[in-house]
Amino acid sequence: MPTILVNPLDETVRFQGTPAARLDTLEGKTIGLLDISKPGGGIFLDHIERLLREHHGVSQVVRVAKPTFTKPAPASVIDQLIAARCDAVIEALAD
Amino acid sequence: MLQTGEQAPRFFLEHLNGEPLSFESERGPTLLVFFETDCPTCRLTIPYLNKLATQAGSSSIIGISQDNKAATRELVEHLPILFPVVLDRDLSVSSAYDPVAVPSLFLVAGGKVLATEIGFDKASLNKMANIICDAAGLAPITIASEFDGAPQSKPGCTSRHLEPATDGEIALAANAYARRGSRASRITLDDSVDPFEFCASFGDPLPVIPPTVERVERMLSATSLAPDEVVALIPPNYGAATVEKIAANAVMAGCEPAMMRVLITLIRAVCDERFNIHGVQATTHFAAPLVIVNGPLRRELGFASGSNVFSNVARANSTLGRALQLILTNLGGARPGEIDMSTLGNSGKFSYCIAENEEANPWEPLHVELGFQRSESTVTLFAAEPPRGVSEHNARDARGVLKAISRALATSWSYRLCAGIEALVVLCPEHVKTIVRDGFTKQNARDYLFDNTGIPIKHFEDGEGEGTQQVRLYKQAVIDGEQCYLKFQNPTAIKIVVAGGAAGKFSAVVSSWAAGPRGSQMVTYPIAEF
Repeated sequence: MPTILVNPLDETVRFQGTPAARLDTLEGKTIGLLDISKPGGGIFLDHIERLLREHHGVSQVVRVAKPTFTKPAPASVIDQLIAARCDAVIEALAD
Repeated sequence: MLQTGEQAPRFFLEHLNGEPLSFESERGPTLLVFFETDCPTCRLTIPYLNKLATQAGSSSIIGISQDNKAATRELVEHLPILFPVVLDRDLSVSSAYDPVAVPSLFLVAGGKVLATEIGFDKASLNKMANIICDAAGLAPITIASEFDGAPQSKPGCTSRHLEPATDGEIALAANAYARRGSRASRITLDDSVDPFEFCASFGDPLPVIPPTVERVERMLSATSLAPDEVVALIPPNYGAATVEKIAANAVMAGCEPAMMRVLITLIRAVCDERFNIHGVQATTHFAAPLVIVNGPLRRELGFASGSNVFSNVARANSTLGRALQLILTNLGGARPGEIDMSTLGNSGKFSYCIAENEEANPWEPLHVELGFQRSESTVTLFAAEPPRGVSEHNARDARGVLKAISRALATSWSYRLCAGIEALVVLCPEHVKTIVRDGFTKQNARDYLFDNTGIPIKHFEDGEGEGTQQVRLYKQAVIDGEQCYLKFQNPTAIKIVVAGGAAGKFSAVVSSWAAGPRGSQMVTYPIAEF
């Protein structure tokens, strides 16, 4: 007599996406910097912003921050990045 | 947006099946519900309206979809929607009523708008339900109860008629409160396969009871909920905790069927947004959910609250705690070492569940302090580190015992980190006797601990470290003649329970993860009949 088990695991069908196309250059691009609001994150991202502007010729840097690092970014923060038409976003933390 | 007292326009729209609906606003109280098919708050609200439709008659509610027939039909069939739905194809009715967001509810009678509600709000839903029931000559009903796992209120999405003409929103993962999920698949094991070995990967590294169909059915017979009913979606992967999946994990943990009602309540509570299980599971910190059980069900179901309360002393304690962890891992996806990258972890991730020793507690127990009846039973969740011991055998009075505890409290999270954290003080029966003998109430004890737990400011002068960067947020006080930063922001940050055996002067401090609205907040849910 075979044993029949009830599957106790998550069986949600997951949507298989493909990653967005990688940028071939940072020159002239709009880059979003998303601060997850850990201590020191602002300092770290200030460095990144400076490097992007001075060494990689980005045309615009958009800075946004999550209200807290303990929860996922709320839709309003993501909407800001979408509205700014970022070519790429760096999400970062320091700590 | 049309306001209370204004004229409610008549309209003429089509049902999904093409039948016309001519809405005369002069008729008896009717609830008009504007919704979008991809709005999570609409999906949250509709099941509550289904309840009203079932009680007061489906003609008392009209759903007005702002989306196309195919998407609307899909929602009506799968959520489901148990009241008539019409299609506002050109958004003309939406423009006439002008809801600022969806879902928007307009209670209409006698040609006028009696009441409106934007978004999801339990109090408002209940008020509108009563008006409808009253008009139908029925007794008032509560369609939205406080402790069902859904937030008290939740904002909605922009109404379709106000959206700029660009691509519509993508429906995100959160079909959060759809009540029906899928049945679990069955796994057939060959006779040559040892079921215990097969199940070795289902959860924690210790053996589990294989969740055979027979065992799961026995577990399901203890609840009247349907097996495919979704109790909650478990962060961070938001897998569906259907009643059946909960039962399968309960079997694996070794729970008895009578535990199902506690476990279902606990799963709702752990997904309460205030507890923020998403953050608790994703942190590199030690935190694991500590379960505290209160009320008469402790005795009835065999929970231990005395000697060895934090250990492997009672089937009820160990299996409830374990079932929670198995569900968090198997359905929520935060497997230790994978998504759960906690640096050192916490042995509570095997099982972390205690009951309060209400019999040895001279004060009101935790749940009564929080406003429940003594005769109610509750589960409380606290995002907790492992307990830290306070051995205090020589202090002869309340102040002596409490001072010892305050010194342990001072090291919560990290010695110089003040504010932003909480702590649970677990007082053993011997200590609580000493404290109460000196006339301290629970609040007196809490206030004493708050006032006397501080970090001398001179300790902030020997270099930077955890907590030294936030001193501008700290309150100051003089404690024993020394200028200190107060450890906690508020006496309410210190929770107190009584637990443990009758012998021994050993209490404990259980420190929290990041606390408050930006972290995790302690939640307490009454254990319901299911």
